[in-house]
Amino acid sequence: MDHDQLKDLLPLEALGTLDGEEARAMAAHLAEGCDECEAELRAFREALAAMAISAAGAGPSDQIWRRLESRLPAGAGAASPSMQDRPAERTRDRAARIGVSRTWRVAAVAAAAAAIVLFVMTGNYANQISAIRADDSARIAALGRQARELAAELDDRNRDLAVLRGQIAVSGQLTQAVLAPDARMIRLAPLAPAPSAAGLVAVTPSQNHAVLQVAGLPTPPPGKEYELWWIGAKSGPVKAALFAPTAQGDATVASTLPPAGEQLLASAITLEPAGGVDKPTGAMYLKGAP
Amino acid sequence: MQKTSAIPPSDEAVVRAIAGGDQESLRLLNSRYGNALAAVAERVLGDRADAEEVAADVLWQAWRQAAVFDRSRGSVGAWLMMLVRSRAIDRLRARAARANLRDDPAVSTDAPDATFDINNAQRRHVVQAAIAALQDSERAVLELAYYSDLSQSAIAERTGLPLGTVKSRIRSALIKLREGLKGLGD
Repeated sequence: MDHDQLKDLLPLEALGTLDGEEARAMAAHLAEGCDECEAELRAFREALAAMAISAAGAGPSDQIWRRLESRLPAGAGAASPSMQDRPAERTRDRAARIGVSRTWRVAAVAAAAAAIVLFVMTGNYANQISAIRADDSARIAALGRQARELAAELDDRNRDLAVLRGQIAVSGQLTQAVLAPDARMIRLAPLAPAPSAAGLVAVTPSQNHAVLQVAGLPTPPPGKEYELWWIGAKSGPVKAALFAPTAQGDATVASTLPPAGEQLLASAITLEPAGGVDKPTGAMYLKGAP
Repeated sequence: MQKTSAIPPSDEAVVRAIAGGDQESLRLLNSRYGNALAAVAERVLGDRADAEEVAADVLWQAWRQAAVFDRSRGSVGAWLMMLVRSRAIDRLRARAARANLRDDPAVSTDAPDATFDINNAQRRHVVQAAIAALQDSERAVLELAYYSDLSQSAIAERTGLPLGTVKSRIRSALIKLREGLKGLGD
């Protein structure tokens, strides 16, 4: 199918209703980076959102807020979500919610339920996968089409489950960090170069180490490595670790601690020349705030 | 961020404040979109309590991912509507595999973000006029496609219309809707 034929199908793509060969051709065309079609698609999605918002009317719901409020960090209304807010309680909450909605993940959690640490870790990984699916609209659209075919959906879930199990198997180091009383988590969200990637940094000052776990990163080209950064309020980006993921895109990497006494604004991963650089120069793949 | 300021903050400013950890801004986002999120989810799921849970999930996701929101990829409203539709359809599929319905009807009594509502009344009027300008047959198939988990082939089967007619009606409806909203901004 050529550009004009696919352009005619963009309203159906915006609704996620394409199927069969048209869906495959559209996915391939958009993956090639057609700016005109991307812009049209955005305009159709905006129109659909306006339709949905208009149908409901803007307005509050204290019921929704009550459900949401219990998940937020306790304290002042304008409190920053500090790293200390993150660990077990919220993780347990996420794991519970995800468990309700996805039977297969419940099965994964049940298999690991003998150990609390596996429960914590599984919650985090399940949450990362949830974030992966939600973050990137193109991936969601692709998933939506795949999911309409039961067999494809089953394959997809089995793949995710295999990734989960693999990550749990290699997470001993990260587990130690997570179990420390002063463990703090920084979840790294995917950016444009790797929309399917996810990352988690566990910082444990008492054990004098920090550990990074990533999944879904593309294999770096020859002569390149990924570099983890601490981004401080005063120091700017500070080199934290260098690594190359496995062929599956996973890595568990020991890192330096964030600079002492520095207010940590974010942590990020960029693609840099092998051997690393002192300040980031390449594309950013993952980023997250404490 | 205060609701009482003369000029209400833009959606993008609200999301930036959320990225900075401001819970009041998240409350403001809920006051602007919570009801719409729940309404879309309720239309998909047919259950208000499930819909409110999905709406809360979406706002929770917005809280965690506000820092990576990219305005160049679409408006805040489009982002939230995309998330809620996706999550509601996910839940619909999960429900299909489990008979697990809950019944917990709820009515919102929270005070609305009045300034925002007034500023958006005109916008809503324009959108509703654009929807009203669609033919009934176009609107019906467009809404079926938006609020269901059906492919174009499944819609054709469900409605008894030829696939080509389904496609042309959706296409025509969405093009008209988009044209009707041109100049509205966001």
